[in-house]
Amino acid sequence: MIYDVRHVTTYDYSRQVPFARCVMRLLPRDGSGQHVRSSELLITPRPAERSDAPCFFGNRMTMATIASPHHELKVEMRARVAVERPAPPYPGLTRGWEEVAALALASCSLAPASPAHHLYPSRLVPEVASVIAYARESFGARRPVLEAASELMARIRRDFAYDPDATEVSTPLAEAFARRHGVCQDFAHIMIAGLRGLGLPAAYVSGYIRTIPPAGQRRLEGADASHAWALLWCGPETGWIGLDPTNDLIVADDHIVTAIGRDYADVAPLDGVVIGPGSQQIGVAVDVIPVG
Amino acid sequence: MAVQGRIRSGRTKEERRAALLAGYRALPGTHDELVDAAGAVRPHWEPFLQEWCALSPDELRQRFGLADRHVHDTGVSYRVHGDIDTHDPSAGERAWPLSHVPLLIPGAEWQSIAAGVAQRAQLLARLLDDVYGPGDFVAKGLLPAAVVTGSPDYLRPLHGTPGGGALQLYAADLGRGPDGRWWVLQDRAQAPSGAGYALENRLALTRAFPDMFRSMNIERLAAFFQGFRAGLVARSRRVEPRICLLTPGPLNESYFEQAYLARYLGFLLVEGDDLLMREGRVHVRTIAGLKRADVIWRRIDGDFADPLELNARSALGVAGLVQAVRGGQVHVANGLGSGVVEARALMGFLPALARQVLGEELILPNIATWWCGQPREREAVLARLDEMSVAPAFRSAGGELGRESVLAGELPAAGRAALRARIAARGLDYVGQEVVRLSTMPVFQNGRLEPHPMTLRVFAAATPDGWKVMPGGFCRISEEPDARAVSLRNGVRSSDVWVTADAPVEPITLLPAPDRISIQRVTGTLPSRAADNLFWLGRYLERGEATLRLVRALLGRLIDSDPSPGRGDTVRRLAELLVAWGAAPHDRGRNPAAQAYSALYSLDDYGSAAASVREARRTASVIRERLSVDAWRLFGDLQKQLTPQDGRRPSEGEAYEIADRALKTLAAFSGLSQENMVRGAGWRFLDIGRRLERGIATCRFARQFTENEPSGEALDALLDLTDSQITYRSRYLLGASLQPVLDLVMLDPYNPRSVAFQVERLEAEIRGLPTLAEDGMLETPYRLVLRLAADCRIAEAGRLDRTSILLFEQLLMGLSAAIADRYFLQNSGPEGSRLTGIA
Repeated sequence: MIYDVRHVTTYDYSRQVPFARCVMRLLPRDGSGQHVRSSELLITPRPAERSDAPCFFGNRMTMATIASPHHELKVEMRARVAVERPAPPYPGLTRGWEEVAALALASCSLAPASPAHHLYPSRLVPEVASVIAYARESFGARRPVLEAASELMARIRRDFAYDPDATEVSTPLAEAFARRHGVCQDFAHIMIAGLRGLGLPAAYVSGYIRTIPPAGQRRLEGADASHAWALLWCGPETGWIGLDPTNDLIVADDHIVTAIGRDYADVAPLDGVVIGPGSQQIGVAVDVIPVG
Repeated sequence: MAVQGRIRSGRTKEERRAALLAGYRALPGTHDELVDAAGAVRPHWEPFLQEWCALSPDELRQRFGLADRHVHDTGVSYRVHGDIDTHDPSAGERAWPLSHVPLLIPGAEWQSIAAGVAQRAQLLARLLDDVYGPGDFVAKGLLPAAVVTGSPDYLRPLHGTPGGGALQLYAADLGRGPDGRWWVLQDRAQAPSGAGYALENRLALTRAFPDMFRSMNIERLAAFFQGFRAGLVARSRRVEPRICLLTPGPLNESYFEQAYLARYLGFLLVEGDDLLMREGRVHVRTIAGLKRADVIWRRIDGDFADPLELNARSALGVAGLVQAVRGGQVHVANGLGSGVVEARALMGFLPALARQVLGEELILPNIATWWCGQPREREAVLARLDEMSVAPAFRSAGGELGRESVLAGELPAAGRAALRARIAARGLDYVGQEVVRLSTMPVFQNGRLEPHPMTLRVFAAATPDGWKVMPGGFCRISEEPDARAVSLRNGVRSSDVWVTADAPVEPITLLPAPDRISIQRVTGTLPSRAADNLFWLGRYLERGEATLRLVRALLGRLIDSDPSPGRGDTVRRLAELLVAWGAAPHDRGRNPAAQAYSALYSLDDYGSAAASVREARRTASVIRERLSVDAWRLFGDLQKQLTPQDGRRPSEGEAYEIADRALKTLAAFSGLSQENMVRGAGWRFLDIGRRLERGIATCRFARQFTENEPSGEALDALLDLTDSQITYRSRYLLGASLQPVLDLVMLDPYNPRSVAFQVERLEAEIRGLPTLAEDGMLETPYRLVLRLAADCRIAEAGRLDRTSILLFEQLLMGLSAAIADRYFLQNSGPEGSRLTGIA
């Protein structure tokens, strides 16, 4: 599939802001069956300084400093991305989950794709005993890892209510879990917390999902904004497999990956520090259109 | 002299020794520093005991008094974690618990400790370079990747950055085992504290035992700090770099040490807000604009150093710092990512790593450690769990174990089972360690020595000549006889560490060789925050003085046995001022004495003398590195004077004395700053604060005592308050009358207490401040003070009334606001607000 993605973020400030320093992770990355044919990031007002360089995990990171007084900050990302992922393995034929955990633990690589980076609690994914216990129900002894994880994903989809008003970035994981509702970000974090709690390497993905469903299919949740899901390392042969607990889907060609990290904090699409006493209002618009 | 003493007290000296050592023996199964297993004193302690026992109990007490007074006077303090009052940063501080008996280590033994610590520093530095660089050690299988990635201090944004994990100052916490060998208990590579406290301990004990330092050839510490500073200088591209010590601020438990080291080493003490990243470089915000920072010695955790690329929740850091580091425009020491090698999980791998990387065996072993992320090690730990100490493998963000280790065998059965289950499920989060039994050292208590467990922190610095180890260290002594872990937070004492040389030690100071000093007359640039605090220090001190003068004038009239007519009216005016000032509450009825007491003591009334002194001390506490020890001591004196003794209300006469004495102490502070402070920008801001406050107070006095046809007695009081009585008497033979008094108090430029005099001084000080304007226009503060000066010069006493005096007062307040606007941080805006929402 080939997609045109447009993601516009605007900040409206109640008072003039003289200075802002921002970090953006909005440009989609290449790899894992995904090829970015063209992409651009437009920032208004024009930054006094801007640098584009990949971060540790290989995401495309833009740092910008805006030194002119402004009332509105607008960041627009446009990209054309071709997605053709290899078919995922048959879940029942993947390695036993205990074996995968042991292999990850013994990893001899600090490279960005190494499972070793994704074994431990991270800023927004702390260790929560109840979440681990919840996840464990799907992980019987020696069960194939992808089969067990798929079941966990299905249970999250079944047990949790999708509620765009339920959370903000700052909702702690334990709270979203206890209330059994949230948005894609929460479900991804909960899934990751459960998998890591069992010793399995799990990562966080930010990206998009196609807006208009193919004829005759349901419309997918999370299509009007940026989306998020989890990645599970299934052993050295299979590598990383995307699992979308919001839609109960193993990630294939409907998803576009922007950035990969340990949790949202590693891949926040737009973060920044501004000087100024006023309040702010954010507006986000996302379009994902299949073009062929 | 010492010999004479010994002869004179020769007979009792043996008795003293016997009493001192009575009952002192090593605890079962532990090594003691002073005596061997048979109870015999180890030879290297003999000279010390000799000298000690030569002193009579009185002499000894006197010596201890000298050391303790040094500690008290310099204000050495630490903060107990969690004991924080944000309104008064100095409230949670504890006096420094110094043990008067040093730890003695013979030079030969020290050689191997120093070699071991230097070797370890070297090894960890290599490891840091590798994990933030090629990652070969992991790739070759010398250690599992998960031992690195598990640390919250493995800061991935620093990967591939030169100096991302550079180690500049390293410390090892050592303990001595029952067999007499030294072991490494813990590595400190993030931002080790304690070197400054070690230095302070040394200065304090030098006060007590100056002769012992000479006769016992104790190694000195200054050369170490010299090397450390040279190492930092070498990291900069500029020849005379600006080095900043980045502190978490006055609420940090070791803020005192940070301020102390900044002063000792000549670094600029800054908080995150003082620094600003612009165009790839880091700058200090100063009163003269942005000044480049070349090297930052950080005392905050690396993760907190940049809210943009690291921990977004940090309010301590500098947005964009990582980018500046990446661009090579600033050097941060230790490198932001250095904390990763503190992980206990790593310890088990170090012996093999030393062999592979250095081709050497570890000189100092670390306590046996098994990381439970490895199947075989996990099984071994589980099999011997009851004999083990179990600890988090990494600095955890507050998991079940917290940061401390537990003795599994001492847990209740259920707790032990739970721990076992957790290790089995996620072993990678835990290490098992051999239980350490620390050695004991003597502590002087109740007239004799007692053995207490101790740990020793030893420091190594990367200098241009390689790793250098401080010959001495920071020794911490537990109050518990059975401590297996010692933490300063649990109220332990610390002690100096004496390394004895075989030959006399050459004194070294921090001063560079004379031919390398270029003469300077200006002391660096003044950070805006320091200017702000100096300004307010001046204002609070002057405010306290004005209140004390009011109190003294009021009480003086109350105790006067021969009251002049109009006294009642004057007392009323004085008491009203105290109320208007906020020094005394309204509701004390018509009892002026009670109002005077409030104005002296009440911490609830913000304008009282006690409250002003508290505020002055608070502002001073955050610029402690800029104040002399003598000045700092005066705060202690003042606070003591302004605290009611034995809870009793003093008589009016006594209260008068108290106000009088406190005014003398304040005068001493003025004298110190007049005579001893360099006339740099810092002094200017202190003086501006004082002059402004004095000008405002004098206007208020003048308004209060000249309205409603004042009696001669009321004008007398005004002359008292402004210290102008003598001048007036020498000029005018008649009693006080309105116009001459007003001229003297308000307009006379020759009277150092007059408003006109304050304004002249203000004009001179503000003229001397740096200007930012490039268009030749006057800056607002200077424009305002020029107007004030002109107004003072052309005003006539005959036309001064309540309204025109009020106008002077308002202009002075406007000037204060303009100075704050222009020179302080407040309005340049904290980089605090963040973009929020899901973007």
